[in-house]
Amino acid sequence: MTKPRQITTSSTAEYFSKNLQQVGFSSPTKAVLTTVKEALDNALDACEDHHIAPDINILVEKVGNGSLKNTDRIRIRVEDNGPGIDAGDIAKVFGEYLASSKFGRGRCSRGQQGIGISAATTWAIQTTARGVSVTTKTKGQKKAVKCLVEVDIKNNKGIIRDKEAVDWERPSGTAVEFLIDGRIQLNGEAGLVNYLRGNVLVNPHMTISYTLPDNGTTKIERVTKDVPQIPEATEPHPHTMKLGEFISHARLFGKMKTSNWLKQGFSRLNDKILAEIWKGQKLARALLDKSTEALNEKDISGIYTAIQKAQLPPPSTQSVMSIGEEALSLSIQRLGDVDFFSVISRKPMICDFKPIQIEVAVARLKDRRGEDHDEPVQVLRFANRVPLQFDKAACAIVKAISTINWRAYGIKQPRDSLPQGPYIVAVSMVSPFIKFKNASKETIDASDELVEEIRRALMQAGQKLSRHINRESRVNDHETKIAHIEQFGPILIDGLVRLTKADESRRIKATEGLRKLLGRDALESEKAVKVAKEKSEAVDAKRHRIKMFREEDQAIESREAEKRAAADGLDEVDAIASESEDSDDSEGGVAVVTAKSKKKIATKQAGQIIKKPVKKAAKK
Amino acid sequence: MATRTTSVHPRRKSKEDKVILEHSLELCEKMLKDLEGGKRPKLTATKCALDNSIYNSKVGFLTPGSKRVSTELNVSSVKKMSRAVFMLEILLRNIETGNVNTKRELYYISKGEVKHNKLMKALDFGDQNESDSVVDFICEMLECYREEMNCFANDRGGQTYSQNLVVTERLPDGTEAVIDLSQLGTSPFQPKNRPQNLTLKAKGKIDFCLVVESEGTANTLVANGFVKRHNSIVVGAQGVPSNAVRGWVKRIQDQLRVPIYFFGDLDAYTMQNIFRTLKAGSAASLIRNSDFSAPDVRFLGVLPEDIKKYDLNDYPVNERDAQEIRALKKARDALANDPFFKDKKNKGLSEILHWLINNKRRCEQQAFYSVDPRDPQMAEKIIIEKITKGHYV
Ligand SMILES: Nc1ncnc2c1ncn2[C@@H]1O[C@H](COP(=O)(O)OP(=O)(O)OP(=O)(O)O)[C@@H](O)[C@H]1O
Ligand SMILES: [Mg+2]
Repeated sequence: MTKPRQITTSSTAEYFSKNLQQVGFSSPTKAVLTTVKEALDNALDACEDHHIAPDINILVEKVGNGSLKNTDRIRIRVEDNGPGIDAGDIAKVFGEYLASSKFGRGRCSRGQQGIGISAATTWAIQTTARGVSVTTKTKGQKKAVKCLVEVDIKNNKGIIRDKEAVDWERPSGTAVEFLIDGRIQLNGEAGLVNYLRGNVLVNPHMTISYTLPDNGTTKIERVTKDVPQIPEATEPHPHTMKLGEFISHARLFGKMKTSNWLKQGFSRLNDKILAEIWKGQKLARALLDKSTEALNEKDISGIYTAIQKAQLPPPSTQSVMSIGEEALSLSIQRLGDVDFFSVISRKPMICDFKPIQIEVAVARLKDRRGEDHDEPVQVLRFANRVPLQFDKAACAIVKAISTINWRAYGIKQPRDSLPQGPYIVAVSMVSPFIKFKNASKETIDASDELVEEIRRALMQAGQKLSRHINRESRVNDHETKIAHIEQFGPILIDGLVRLTKADESRRIKATEGLRKLLGRDALESEKAVKVAKEKSEAVDAKRHRIKMFREEDQAIESREAEKRAAADGLDEVDAIASESEDSDDSEGGVAVVTAKSKKKIATKQAGQIIKKPVKKAAKK
Repeated sequence: MATRTTSVHPRRKSKEDKVILEHSLELCEKMLKDLEGGKRPKLTATKCALDNSIYNSKVGFLTPGSKRVSTELNVSSVKKMSRAVFMLEILLRNIETGNVNTKRELYYISKGEVKHNKLMKALDFGDQNESDSVVDFICEMLECYREEMNCFANDRGGQTYSQNLVVTERLPDGTEAVIDLSQLGTSPFQPKNRPQNLTLKAKGKIDFCLVVESEGTANTLVANGFVKRHNSIVVGAQGVPSNAVRGWVKRIQDQLRVPIYFFGDLDAYTMQNIFRTLKAGSAASLIRNSDFSAPDVRFLGVLPEDIKKYDLNDYPVNERDAQEIRALKKARDALANDPFFKDKKNKGLSEILHWLINNKRRCEQQAFYSVDPRDPQMAEKIIIEKITKGHYV
């Protein structure tokens, strides 16, 4: 098992305590949601880092009136079976800002900065004067540590109180309990339920049990045992840096030969490429041998410009990860009584010069079918598997969804808006470098390239879905046709008989004639339905049906891919390298980058197709 | 009294009514026969679309080609057909009794029928669009106007002024009304949607008829003494001419044999939708254009050359106005596909369309009032000058 990472600190508690609105505590309702979110994100990150399938318990309950206007006093408890926290780190984790094991590592973890949980502690202290109660146990410990943590704002330090050893049945794990003032919003787009459902979707490996006011306890079991591995970060690509960042990057490495700094500190730079750059841009050879400390600003900016001008292979896509179509398929069925669905995992790709991966799941829910179909679809957005719930209008995901012509797939849609109906449209973006529109990290910046990539994923999902929708509308068609015959036939004849003043015998004869005619039609449409039904046999055996749909879809897809490949004249590149770059990672085995390894990958840069070097996955 | 009513006769069906009734019954009879024989009844009608329009300058209006559309009874069309028969019953009853209704009234009448007869519940119209489309479907199949089915829209346009015109109207009950337009004071005469019942007579000399696009401008001309000074008929078209206006102008042309001039805006919409419809009918009404177009109408203006000649205020087409942009696009289509504008005989008119497309400018009929702002008769003077000098197309 890997050791918990070194935790680094920085003193900014005062700033954050005054600006809690910037980190999700801008209203009483958001405060509740953010507290749950920070605790759950951490629990899931910790489990993932230690290859533990998460078992999460969440409790949100009202315990009284809040001191702020229009608020309640609320208890929030989040419990995980993760690795636990070393007793010595508890104060840092919960009471110190910018204390994190994930900080600046360029990984696709949920947490990034070391602000989240300390901000929640601060909010608790500000509103109820009580810090967070933490119970935690690491593997091998007999007893758990239980204590109260407060934030010493002045010194950005955590203060521990009432520490005791307690019995805890979990072998390892952490439970955090906050008492805060806030307001619970359960339903709606920005509600707690939606947030939890979102997490259920993108964490197929999670079992969660949550107890909400007036809602009882809901337990949702995991649908896969495979714990996703967050791939290690690759070094930054030089083209993603601004000059200032480049300079501080050099300083970060301290005393080092410049050529070594460039090779080790960046991806895509090696001796050969450096030699080419130096030759091409006519730089002094000696620069490469200088120590980084000896470089002056002019040297560095010269190197910077030369590298920017050089053609480099695009960044690696190994640092992104996917949930996978298989797992998403199973997981989306946990969101309700799903009629049918389609999922798409796009290949990892470079977008705006950053590695990203997009996954999409579209599902139609049965239990909402009776409801008003003019309601827009339910959109679930995810950035590194964190559900986004606010400020959706300008988000790349919403932009992509509403610029697609869903009518082509049989889904209702008013012009330039979200489609309508009892559907869930979920889009997940994973990238170590997600660009957000604003500080609250609720809106993914809508660059043209990104929107286009999301659109492509949605269109594939839409095409898959439309096959199911068509199948269904054929059944509906048949039903209305039968109804038509029974209803309108006699009326038509009665009308004609009245107008022509015909007698009863003609009426009977005409009725027989009509029966014959329309019966023939009905038979035909019935046949059409049968054909469609045969294809989608075993409607009730849900798993089976889904498997079949998926196989059918995959078959169609691979055929289409073949056609495309033939058209593009692309060479097949063998496999995506799926080796872990983390050498300490001795037990964890291979870090899976994509669900399917045998997929060709071709990335384009400046109109030129660059083959990715083929590395074979290290079998362990 | 300006009008006089002849003695009251009992309701007599007109010749047209009888034709409709017979035709409808034939259709029903055939459908029933087909059904008895286990055959699919099939309703066919002339295709009313530009791609089935023929223009022959000797005929002067758009006539139908040989394309037909048909509806055959099957599981998908059974609803539409039974609704059509249901609505036809209501319409034929109206013709029998001489009642008339608007489309909206027909919608409520059909609702009422359904309410009182549970067996017909399935026919119930959800909204007026549904019943309207059934009425239209019936007219298509019978190849008649809905006015002939006694279904009338609001009368629109056609306000007419003259000192020398007398109109005789045959009423549904067989009586007649005689209207002397010179006796109406400042009120206009307005033709109904079924101008076939009107007979026109000149009680003095009539030199020409002027059809003005804007009914307001027509009123202004008359108020300022146009029909007093000139032996003429002035008709306000009010936008795209309704059946009433089209049939009325056709009656003026046929019964009075006077030259007819159209005076309207210089823009693509006026040329294509208003003037072309008035002169040669429309693709949507191919089967009725013979009664609803006046091929002798001339385009008096505003002409492109008038802008320079009279120094008129024109202005560029508003690129943001979707309707104006659509009109220009339609103009391009018309030059390529509309047999009326493609015909050599109408070269002068298609040249105006070309001019509009190329210059992207437009000029309104009211611009004549800018020529001499102090002279209220200026527009009248220009119109008369253009007529006498032959400045029209
Ligand atoms: N439930 C937990 N189990 C194990 N370790 C935890 C748990 N919660 C927090 N930690 C550790 O505490 C650190 C700080 O957490 P914190 O939420 O403040 O920051 P973060 O998750 O790294 O980033 P962010 O501010 O984006 O949430 C984490 O990096 C992690 O190492
Ligand atoms: Mg966190």
